[in-house]
Amino acid sequence: MQGWKKGASLILALTTAFGLTACGSSGNNNDSNAAAAGNASEPAEASASAELPALDPANPTKVTFYSYSLAYPTMKAGMEELLNEFNETVGKEKGVIVEGIADTTLTQWKTDIQAGKQVDIVQHGFATMDSSRQTLGFKAFEDVFPKDELESHLQGISPNAQALGKIDGKMYGLAFTFSTPILFMNGKLFQDAGLDPNNPPKTWDDVKAAALQIKEKTGKDGFGLAPNNGWTTEGVILSNGGKVIADDRKSAEFASDEGIEAIQMWKDLYHSGAHAVGTDSEVTEQFMAGNLGMFLQSTSVYSGIKSASEAAGWQVYGAQMPQFGDKPSVPVNSGSMLAVRPDSDIKAAAIWEFVKFVTGDRGYTIITSKVGYLPLRTALADDPNGLKDFVDQNPLYRVNLAQLDRIQPVAIWPGEYATEIATAFTDAIVKAVSTDADVRETLTQAQDQINDMLQQ
Amino acid sequence: MSHMEPTAVIPPLAGTASATHASVSRRALLMRRLKPYLYLLPAIVLLIIWMYRPLLYTCYLAFQKWGMVPGTEPTFVGFDNFTRLFRTDSFVHSIGNTVFYTVGLLPFSIVIPLILAVVTDGMKGKSKNFYRAIFFIPMILAPVSVGAIWRWLFHPSNGLVNNLLLKLNVVDRPIAFFSDAQWAKWIILFITGWKMIGFAVLMFSSALTGINREYYEAASIDGAGKFRVFIRITAPLVSPMVLFMLTMSILFASQWTFAYIDMLTAGGPYGSSTNVYYEMYKNAFANMNVGFSSAAALVFFVVFGLIALGLNALSRKLSFYDN
Repeated sequence: MQGWKKGASLILALTTAFGLTACGSSGNNNDSNAAAAGNASEPAEASASAELPALDPANPTKVTFYSYSLAYPTMKAGMEELLNEFNETVGKEKGVIVEGIADTTLTQWKTDIQAGKQVDIVQHGFATMDSSRQTLGFKAFEDVFPKDELESHLQGISPNAQALGKIDGKMYGLAFTFSTPILFMNGKLFQDAGLDPNNPPKTWDDVKAAALQIKEKTGKDGFGLAPNNGWTTEGVILSNGGKVIADDRKSAEFASDEGIEAIQMWKDLYHSGAHAVGTDSEVTEQFMAGNLGMFLQSTSVYSGIKSASEAAGWQVYGAQMPQFGDKPSVPVNSGSMLAVRPDSDIKAAAIWEFVKFVTGDRGYTIITSKVGYLPLRTALADDPNGLKDFVDQNPLYRVNLAQLDRIQPVAIWPGEYATEIATAFTDAIVKAVSTDADVRETLTQAQDQINDMLQQ
Repeated sequence: MSHMEPTAVIPPLAGTASATHASVSRRALLMRRLKPYLYLLPAIVLLIIWMYRPLLYTCYLAFQKWGMVPGTEPTFVGFDNFTRLFRTDSFVHSIGNTVFYTVGLLPFSIVIPLILAVVTDGMKGKSKNFYRAIFFIPMILAPVSVGAIWRWLFHPSNGLVNNLLLKLNVVDRPIAFFSDAQWAKWIILFITGWKMIGFAVLMFSSALTGINREYYEAASIDGAGKFRVFIRITAPLVSPMVLFMLTMSILFASQWTFAYIDMLTAGGPYGSSTNVYYEMYKNAFANMNVGFSSAAALVFFVVFGLIALGLNALSRKLSFYDN
């Protein structure tokens, strides 16, 4: 009996081993299948050629577009209009169907690439592009799209804006939704506090004085910039002559004297009693509810703010990003770029049609008027067939466009630890601004930690 | 006279009959002995596919550097992931928070539910079910809805809690519950605990229902007070359930808090409300470092495995069964 039990156990063990081997080999098959299908991640097949193959309208090519704007309530309708118009016009005519995928977590495209799904175009943030290029198979535009068509398409987009997605001289992303931070103001609270929104605060000292006045006269918070905003912070540091990352992108430099002084100024404002507290989304909601005097934020939320203010009966005003003393402010860009992963020439041709449309005149007209970002083709703002009427009705966009000549790109953190580095930077700022922690010590510690990661 | 009659049937050769019989019976015996294992086979195959294979694969990945991107190959890095794990500040902090959530959840999974179950157990008529239904409602709400409701209640400027605190002059500035390190993890703990109470009350109520009423009648005749009855009768007889809930609470505290960390604080501010599971998730799917995440998973598999064994031994030692 014992022998039988041993025998049966042996059979089970062998079955188990077989199961594991089978699973293992199936896993390997998956890997090799994925490697084959997922040559999307290393799509060497899609090569730069003088001409891309012709698309077939009778047999349209499907491409996927992962977009976080599709997941934001204030941007969703505009982004859907952009996709629908492409599919119904150029897409139908040329033979391309773009499937929009709302990326609620901003990381779904990563997990879908990991799962071997088809991820062709991503609305990608700026800070982690280098990491994605190295590990997730995104391709330089010069390598997959025809050179002459690319050059011709980029005419009309300022070189500053083109530079935003360039790494090592190649364009890994074309600026898509794009904005700079501006100082939104609640006209009613300004007037209730005896301030004139047409004569907005210019320097950080002016902002603090106005914020305290609003708090004193109305009881509402005077100013808000959430410490975890992530990107506007960089503009604050740059505006005081500091740097976030070295020019050669080999080390972090935000803990310089200028950087520390800028963050110290913000900390003083934060603890003045007139600064809003909470996360970026909570401060946005506070401003939209009419409970905040000034709010430094990207114009991408303008459409939401505008409808909230109209519903509540107050007027929203805008001013340029505040400056330190007489040094003009240096805003950075928010938003995203289009990053592409074609796995064949025909896919590259389909993606190229979509990129041309959404970053062309019609695309930017929809993006600005319906989503809220800036037109990268700035001439559209003065074009009667483009956005002239819209910008005249929403003069706040002129404020934003006026800042473009001073704009600097947001830091693109190098290498594979880009996401960890971006988190470490934001965490240090949150700690330095919102707690009693010493600014110099906190920023220096974070800078050392980031430099360690950069050298790994 | 004996003679051989011609027959159409050729008699079997000597020994053949017994050999066939033996072969049949051996096959039957084999089948009979294999049968239980064959019944087990589907379950074992599923366990292998869904549990043991991922477990072994995690062990393998813990020594690799890989982003799980199809078309790329893992690179062997030895113990690098483990050494980096214990040098990473956010991960070390997350261990402290995991202990905080695990210990902090015990009142919500054992103490408060036990009191509520005992109190409602003594109620008559519909009121018992009414109260138990109220306690259980949070359990059946979707975590996303729960997160949204509490986020709204604790909003710094528009939330009910802050408005109330300001009106009552308890605070002079609103509290940013989800972005203040002193509050964030307490709020996550409170919300998880609030949702947990209903389930635990239900478990303890069912344990109480199973207690033989004669013990209470006998104690009542002997003149025992309510507290003495609880200590001498109720507590020992619900001890298996207490130990079961203790095990569940300790082993699953990190999983139960995960949803609210993800929705309400994303682990912040500056990692002050994260836990090990959330760090593993972030490393694997946001930072694309599945090797690092697997190393963490392996370490905590061992740690939680030891805790589970300890609790199992404790359960055998302390549980009292009314047999």
